[in-house]
Amino acid sequence: MHVGFLLIAMVLSVFAARLVQLQGIDPQSYAEMAAAEGQVHVTLPATRGEILDRNGHPMAETVDGRMVVADPKVTAKVAPELATILSERLGVDYFETLRRLRVTGEGGRFQYVARQVPASKAEKVVADIQEQFKDDKGRPFSGLQTERDPLRIYPNDTVAANLIGFLGENGKKGKQAATIGLAGLEDSFNTYLSGKDGEARYEVGAGNQIPLGDNTVTPAVDGKNLTLTIDRDLQFYTQRVLQQTVQKSGGESGMALIQDTRTGELLALADYPTYDASDPRSYPEELYKSSALTDVYEPGSVEKVLTVSSLVDAGLAFKEQRFKVPGQLHRQDRPIGDYWDHGTLKLTLAGILAKSSNVGTVLAADQFKPGQLRGYLTGFGLGDRTGVGLGGETRGLLPQGAAWTSQVGDRIAFGQSLSVNAVQMIAAVNTIANGGVRVAPSLVKGEARTDDGTEVGTDVATSRRVISADAAHETMLMMERVVDPEAGVAPRAAVPGYRVAGKTGTAQRVVDGRYDGSLTVSFAGFAPADAPRFTIYVVVHRPRAGSGGGSVAGPAFAQLMSYALRRYGVAPTGAQPNRTPVEW
Amino acid sequence: MSSTSPVRNRLPYVAPRIAQAALERARLTVVPRRRTRAPRVPFVTFVSVILLGGVIGLLMFNTSMQQASFRETALRKQATDLGAQQEALEMDLQSLNDPAHVAAAAEKLGMVTPSTAAGVLHLGSGEISGDPQPATGADRLPLEQPGPQRPSFLDPPPVKQKVKPATDGVPATVQ
Repeated sequence: MHVGFLLIAMVLSVFAARLVQLQGIDPQSYAEMAAAEGQVHVTLPATRGEILDRNGHPMAETVDGRMVVADPKVTAKVAPELATILSERLGVDYFETLRRLRVTGEGGRFQYVARQVPASKAEKVVADIQEQFKDDKGRPFSGLQTERDPLRIYPNDTVAANLIGFLGENGKKGKQAATIGLAGLEDSFNTYLSGKDGEARYEVGAGNQIPLGDNTVTPAVDGKNLTLTIDRDLQFYTQRVLQQTVQKSGGESGMALIQDTRTGELLALADYPTYDASDPRSYPEELYKSSALTDVYEPGSVEKVLTVSSLVDAGLAFKEQRFKVPGQLHRQDRPIGDYWDHGTLKLTLAGILAKSSNVGTVLAADQFKPGQLRGYLTGFGLGDRTGVGLGGETRGLLPQGAAWTSQVGDRIAFGQSLSVNAVQMIAAVNTIANGGVRVAPSLVKGEARTDDGTEVGTDVATSRRVISADAAHETMLMMERVVDPEAGVAPRAAVPGYRVAGKTGTAQRVVDGRYDGSLTVSFAGFAPADAPRFTIYVVVHRPRAGSGGGSVAGPAFAQLMSYALRRYGVAPTGAQPNRTPVEW
Repeated sequence: MSSTSPVRNRLPYVAPRIAQAALERARLTVVPRRRTRAPRVPFVTFVSVILLGGVIGLLMFNTSMQQASFRETALRKQATDLGAQQEALEMDLQSLNDPAHVAAAAEKLGMVTPSTAAGVLHLGSGEISGDPQPATGADRLPLEQPGPQRPSFLDPPPVKQKVKPATDGVPATVQ
C-alpha cells in the first residue's frame, strides 16, 4: 500500500517538474516552436514596374522566371548526363554544372544550377528530365526542381541602354540579398519601380493549408511603370547615325540628342560607345552611364548663339550691326584668333555667327557690363543640373566671382573656359527655338519620384523666360545664315525643303586639366526655323585632325532632323530662308 | 393513495350520509395501462434512411469538394503554364519588334533607310511640298553596334601552322 503511494508520488513529481520546466522556465520559446511546427511563411514578391517608351513599347520588363535547383545527393549519380542536357538546353557552363551537381558536405542538398530562366523553358526542361530519369518504381526524378525567380528583360538590347541601365544583386547575403538597379533609370528609380514585397503566414497540416488556422496575408504592392519621353525607333535611328558619324570621323565618342522644342521632352538621347543592357557584364563599367549627363566638355562655338542672343536681348547689338574683325585680337594673356587665317574682315553680327568668328564675338561681347553675360548664361541653365532623373549628373562649370577674369570672360563669349553637359546645352539652344522661354528638359513622361526624393517628369517641368521673343527671333535669323551655302560654314547641315537654323562648334578639349590639342566638334540647331518642332544636338569627341563641326556633326544633324521631321509628319512651312547680309 | 385515507376515515364523523354516497360515487380508481404497440419498422426505416442519406450526402459532398480541389489545382497549373507560354510568346514578339531586327529584316527585303529629303503630300489639296528625292542605299547605316571588346588573353589571334602535304608513304606532318 505504502509502496504504491510512493510510486504514484514519484511519478507525479516527475510530471510536476516537467510542467515547471515547460511553463515556468522558458514558456515563450516552446510556444514559438509549437507555432513554427505547423506554420508556413511565404514572401509574396512584388512585380517590378516596366520602363516604357513614349508610345508604350517596353524598354525593360519583368517576366515570370524560374531558377533550377539541384539536390546533389540525388543528382551525383547521373551528373554527367544531367550536365549535358542542362548545358545544351539552358546554356549553362557544362563543367560548373557538373561540379555543382556533385557537391558534397555543406550545400550538399541545395545547389543553384541556372537562374532567371524564362518559366516555360525551365519547366519544360525539368519536366523532361524528371520523366527521363524516373526511378524503378516509376516515380519522377527528384533531384531537380524549379523555384520562382523573376526575370528582367530588355527587349531592345542596346537601344537606350545608356538610359535604362540594368539590374543586379546588391552583394549582400541572406535575408538582405535583393536585386536592385545598378545603372541608369533602373538605379535612380529603384524604389519607384520595385514596389514592396508582401508576405503570407498560414498554418499547414499534412501539406495543406488549415482553413481556420492562423492566417495573415499582407499583399505585395507592385512597382509602378515608368514611361519615358524617349521614342524607341527614333532613339534606335539616332544611335545608328551617331555610331556611323563617330566611326567615319575616326572619333573617340559622341552624343546625339533630340528634344521636342515646345515641351522640352527628350525624344532621343544617344551615347556612343554604349553597351548592351541584356549583357552588361561583357562591357567595361565606364559605359554604364549616359555621357550626355555625366561628362563635361567645353561647348565651343555653339555657345556663341547664347552670347549673341543675350547681346540682342540686352539691346547691345542687332543682326546687321557692323564690326571690323581683325585676324587676331591681342588681349592680356594671349592673342585670340579664328580657326581660319584672315585679314581685317567687315562682318555684320550675323556674319560673325555665320562664319563663327571668335574675334568678332569677343568684340561684340565687350559691350556687356560685368556679370551680365554670366546672368544670361545662368538663365539659359548653364552651371545647374537639369535634373532629368538620371543619377550622377554633372553641374558643369561656369566660373564665378574672382574666377571670371576679363580673359576668362573673353573666352567664355566664344564657348571655351566653361564646361557643360550635353543636356544643359541642348536645353539652352532650345530656349532660342522656343521663342526665348527655357523649358526644363524631361526624360520621364508624367511624374515620378527618384530614389533621392525629387519629383521629376513633364508634369513638374518648369519654364522661364530668358530672352525676349524678339531677341530669340533675331538670333534664329542669324543662325539660319550658318547653313547657307555661301554665307555660312555648315551647308551640309541643311535639310532640303525646310528652313533650318543652327550653329557649329569646334572646341579644344581639356584632358587631364590642359588642352591636349584634340577637339570636340558639334552642331546644334532646330527646324523648321520659323516654326520650330525639334532641336537636335550632335557632339563628337576627338575626331580626326582637320574635322570641324560643320563637316562632321552637320551632316549627322541633317540626317536626324530629316528623319524626325518625316517621322512626325512635319510639313515644310514653305517660307524662304532670310538673306540677312553677313558682310558690309 | 395514502394521502386520501385520513380523509376517508374522518368522513363518517363529519359528513352526512348523502355526501358519503356522492363521495362513494366520485371515488377515483386506477385506470389499467393500455398497452399499444406502435409499428417499429417505419421508424427504423425512417431513421436509417436519414442516417444513410446523411452519410452518403456527406461522402458525396466531400468527394465533390475533393474533385473541385483537384480540378482547381489542375486549372491553376494550366493557367500558370499558359501564362508562362504567353510570356514566352510575348518575349519572342518583342525581340522580333526590336528596331534593329526590323531594320535588318527590311534590308534583307531590299529596302533602304532613307536619308534623302522627303516630300509632304497634303491630302486636302493633293499638293506636294518639300523637295522629295528617291531614297538610295548609298547612306547605309550600320544596324548593329560593335560587340564588346575582349581582353587579348580571352581573344587570342588564331594559331597558324603549316602542314606538309602527305606524299607517297610519308604521312602529313605539322611543321
